[in-house]
Amino acid sequence: MSQELTRMLDTLTKDIAGAKVTLKRARRMRIDVDADALPALLELLQGRGSYVHLSAISCVDWIDDNQFELVYHVWSYESNSLVSAHTRIPRDPGVYLSIYDLYKPAAFFERDIHEMFGLYFEGSPSMEKFILTEWEGPPPMRKDFDAEAWVRDTFTERDYNPEWLKELTDAGGGIAIRPQDIRK
Amino acid sequence: MRPENYQAINHPPSHEYELNFGPNHPGIEGNYALKVKLQGDQVVEAHADGGYLHRGFKKLMEGRLWIQNIALVPRICVPDPVPMEMAYSLAVEELGGLEVPIRAQWIRVMQLELSRIAAHLFTFGGHAATTGMYTTMYWGVADRDLFLDLFEELTGGRVYHIYNIPGGVRRDIPDGYLDRVTSTLDYLESRLPDYDNLFFTNQVFVKRATGTGTMTQQQALEWGVTGPNLRATGLKLDVRRDDPYLVYDEIDFDIATEEAGDAWARTLVRRKELQQSIRIVRQVIERLPSIGGPIRCPIPNPLAWNVPAGEAYARIDSSKGEVAYYVVSTGGDKPYRVHVRGPSSMHAVQVLENLVTGGRLEDVAQIMFSLDACPPEVDR
Repeated sequence: MSQELTRMLDTLTKDIAGAKVTLKRARRMRIDVDADALPALLELLQGRGSYVHLSAISCVDWIDDNQFELVYHVWSYESNSLVSAHTRIPRDPGVYLSIYDLYKPAAFFERDIHEMFGLYFEGSPSMEKFILTEWEGPPPMRKDFDAEAWVRDTFTERDYNPEWLKELTDAGGGIAIRPQDIRK
Repeated sequence: MRPENYQAINHPPSHEYELNFGPNHPGIEGNYALKVKLQGDQVVEAHADGGYLHRGFKKLMEGRLWIQNIALVPRICVPDPVPMEMAYSLAVEELGGLEVPIRAQWIRVMQLELSRIAAHLFTFGGHAATTGMYTTMYWGVADRDLFLDLFEELTGGRVYHIYNIPGGVRRDIPDGYLDRVTSTLDYLESRLPDYDNLFFTNQVFVKRATGTGTMTQQQALEWGVTGPNLRATGLKLDVRRDDPYLVYDEIDFDIATEEAGDAWARTLVRRKELQQSIRIVRQVIERLPSIGGPIRCPIPNPLAWNVPAGEAYARIDSSKGEVAYYVVSTGGDKPYRVHVRGPSSMHAVQVLENLVTGGRLEDVAQIMFSLDACPPEVDR
């Protein structure tokens, strides 16, 4: 079954330069493709391969390669299989094409990726902020954003040890381990 | 949103006005907001506004050990937390090449279906309350509590169980546990006719929900709708059947469907699913005593566990729809990237905006609850 699917996908993608189909396990296929050929691949998958359900778009920040990897997970209700189309684009300037014309759910995923990774999708219906309305810092899901360092720089630690707690601690209760003790 | 950041929608003088549903509003599920623009009592525009429950799980998970993340994931969906643990565990098991023992798989199925029952009972209550019937809400929450008792006995936690770990489950079922599950199921089954009389065949509900927030099959597929909401348009699609995980391919159950695609159909599908879940749990109770063996496979020292490099995409059918985890490992002791796909990120944003627009003000809350959206899943 899965072998047949792989063959079908091989035939389907033969005109797409650089597309490589791999069978990962039953019902899971991976296609690696160049960034400029990805919309054409998705159009083929949707139109001729019955992959009509866009399950998700995932973004991975490969900071060492200075690249973003975009993974489009599409599911076929007819052949009951998932194709993950992988492509890589340069981290800078971080602009890519929207696939909203093909898959409507892309609107949410692209908006989310724009917010979290700073990647801009041309042609997406809305690139406005959705979750991080109050946030003015860098896109937080990028690997070069250190959330812990940001917390350390932004907030101050306070030793919470009021009088009534001291009495409790002296009597052997209250907070047994205080933060400053952990660090020693 | 802070008051100083609030910007009113600029529009020419007209009879239109703007109304905020949420973030704290009885007509909205959880901390979530829907801004609607109205003309009289007709909705002409709607904008979903999330982020009130954003806790940055995906970033937090990149900084924690594989095993530590089990404590984080259930918090992504509060009413139905088990599918979150399960999808994460399935993805990590695929990466690590772990074979889950057969006994653990059956226990997991039981836990998943009990969680579905509890989540549906919660939703019925919410939906009934939006049509003015508060009794169903009290009943639903009270009956859900009996299932939380079962979870407490099995896992130690009522809401967040942290019970599934990559490789299996943490503890075996206690003595006599299956009998107590049976008696709770018997009780729920005996209650269903009462629920029917009170809510599902109640003319207030039937008349309010019929034809409200209708979507066609084509729209549902186009908008990425999954789970009971998709099945309410007449499509027999279920991840448990189409992309079977655990031992679902050995279990006998029907996929509940309805044809109408409106709020009534969506709730009726959940009502039917309740019975199917009871049927599945009964099969587990029948099979489990005869399945021996361990409840988890040996895993490396979890504090120094380097999961082999690779990527996995695990899908699960939760009570809300398709939950999926995309997990990437570079061979380290922490995940390189975890992407969570919650079904509500479709239902509570695009689908809700589309269904509410053109409808009436009094139906906004009902449409929201009939979609069974879970805001923490959108924000993550």
